[in-house]
Order: sequence, then C-alpha cells, then structure tokens
Amino acid sequence: MSALPPLVIGCMFGFVLHKARMGSYAVIVNVFRFTDFTVLKFLMSGLMVAMLGLKLTGALQLSVGLPIAQTFVVGNLVGGVLFGIGMATAGFCPGTVAAGAGEGRLDYIVPGSLGLYAGALLFGLGYPKLFPLLARLGNFGSVTLPGVLRVDGWLAVALFWELGLVLFYLLERGPLRQPQSSASRDNATHASLRGWPQ
Amino acid sequence: MTAPWRKPWQALRSQAWSPYAAGAALGVTTTLSMAVWGKRLSGAGAYQHLSGYLGRSLAPQNIYWKYVMPPAGITWELWLLVGTFLGAFGSALASRQFRLRSMPDAQWQSVFGPSVVKRWLIVFAGTALIELAAGIAGGCTASLAVSGGAALAPGAFLFIVGMFGGGIPTARWLYRKAPRAGAAV
Repeated sequence: MSALPPLVIGCMFGFVLHKARMGSYAVIVNVFRFTDFTVLKFLMSGLMVAMLGLKLTGALQLSVGLPIAQTFVVGNLVGGVLFGIGMATAGFCPGTVAAGAGEGRLDYIVPGSLGLYAGALLFGLGYPKLFPLLARLGNFGSVTLPGVLRVDGWLAVALFWELGLVLFYLLERGPLRQPQSSASRDNATHASLRGWPQ
Repeated sequence: MTAPWRKPWQALRSQAWSPYAAGAALGVTTTLSMAVWGKRLSGAGAYQHLSGYLGRSLAPQNIYWKYVMPPAGITWELWLLVGTFLGAFGSALASRQFRLRSMPDAQWQSVFGPSVVKRWLIVFAGTALIELAAGIAGGCTASLAVSGGAALAPGAFLFIVGMFGGGIPTARWLYRKAPRAGAAV
C-alpha cells in the first residue's frame, strides 16, 4: 500500500482541525455548555459539503464504492453517550488529540495517546462478551437514510442543507446568537480572524 | 476586509478560520477520502489497529485480535494519524502557535485547579473512555459522525444525538458553579 494518499488526506484533516481550533480544550467543552458553537458550525458545514460532494462525485461516476458506517441502534447510541461524557470532561475526541499534539500540547501527546491505546485494549478485551450482544440489538448493517425511508438521495441532501441553513441563521442572526466566550478565544484574537467572513 | 482568495498565504498563517470555511474544507477532505479512495476519515481507528501488538500477549485466545483486528503492520489508518499530526503541526508552525505546554486553556483551571498531575490523570481516563466508546459505537467523530453522516448512515445521527446527550449534562454538572458565559479568561 502506498503511504502517500493517507498521508495527504491526514495532513489536510489535521490542518483543517487546527484552523477550526479543534485542538483547544475550551472550544470543544463549550459547545456542550452552549457558550461557543464553533464545533456545531464546523461539524454541520462539514457534513453539508461532504454530503453534496459524495452525491456529486457519485452522479459523475467519479466515486469508488462508498464505505457506509454500520447502524446498530443500541451500540451507536450507548457508545455516543459514553463518548460525549469523555469529550465534555477531557475536551477532545481521538482525531483532535492528534491535532492538539501537533500544537505541542504534552497532555495530548503523553496521557492522551496512552489513554487512547488503553481504551482500544479495553475494547478488545471486552469484545468477545460485549460485541455479540450489541451487534444483535437493532442491527441494520450498512444502510442509508434515503434507503430506509425510501426517499430520493438528492431530496435528503437538500433537506439536510435546509436544516443546516436554518440552524446557521439561528446561530448568527437569531435567538441562539451569543458573544463568543472569552475563554475559548485565548488561542485566536480578533485580529487574526480578519480577512475571513465571520 | 480582504477576501481570503486574494492572499492565500494569509489564510495559511491565520490562527483560526471561520468555522464555516474550515467546515467546507473538512467536507472537501471527507469527499476526497471517501469517493476517491473509499476510506472513511478516522481518529480512533489507528489505536485499534495498534492494540493487537500488546493485546495478543495479554489475551492470546481473544477472538478480537485473532480475527477482527489482528496486527497488520502500518495500515492506512496509521498513516492517516501521522498525517493528521503533521498537518496540525504545519498549521501551528505557520500561525506561530506551536508551543510545548503541559496544561490546556485557562478555562480548565477554573474548574479543576492548576495541578498538572490531575489534568494528566483525567486526560488518561477521558481518552480511555472515548476510545472504548468509539469501539462500542462503531466509530468516532471522524469515522462515524462525519464520514457516516456524509453518506447519510442513520447510525451517524444516532451517535451525534448520543454524543450531545452525554456531553451536555456532563458539562452542565462540571461547570455548575462557573458563570455561564466564559468561566475564566
């Protein structure tokens, strides 16, 4: 396997995570406190563009077979809840540990990487008892929403865009608008944001 | 206000992009990875791929490391992790934000105090929980929420609902005594 494609994709991913300030503890935690919606804006706009990109590359026959994430209702939900608890406490997810490490954060480099490795070991040790049970509960496999709901894929993407644009309106102009918390601004001053549409 | 495409080097050196601009770039990266190479973005995957090296000596008969995730050398996910680190490192160098430090932003200290040992212990426990949870959920923010959501997989949205459902009460409880907007500077 050539190392170049994953290295290039990884570099783009890490670069974007850093420019979105995902290496900052406060930025991640404050989305759960409703004091800074950077994570929500970043995640939502990323999903919107990627959804459209995958539909377009598919329509133009530029796409290889897409890897569709598995849907097993209980696992997705329970895993998500535990994931959120860890994320709101320590202030990162696995990808942003690498992004924060790139900024020189030793708490990400040392206990962060060791903890991720320990977690992977724990999952492996628990797998034989845990996973057969989880995989049996509400397992739908590699399905998509348009497939399950029998709606057109483009319609689903259009609806998601509409939802996203309404959310952005509420966040920027509507009742959810909030002054950015000073705590999560410590990595980026207003001057550094000049030149980019806010 | 200068348009970013007029002076691209300024965008590279900027300390932060608008979350929408960064989100669009994340979407392009995800599209490229999934459509061209058929691979989901990943954060948690690399550690699962590495877990077998130690795991097999801990539990030699475990089916997970025997069949599901046997050690497989340097995989796509490992290179991806190296790339993610290098990309963030490059970005931090370009914006002059690279600095070795053992504690996070000031906000942490407002709740947990100035102890480095405490921070590192909580980080270790937190990352272990996150990686375990990513295994249970079938992916992390990158491989399930973003890459799964982009392909409109229902599991991705269940995961996102769970993530906020777990994160919001946790943050509320941890910051119950902090002032609402901006705990500390």
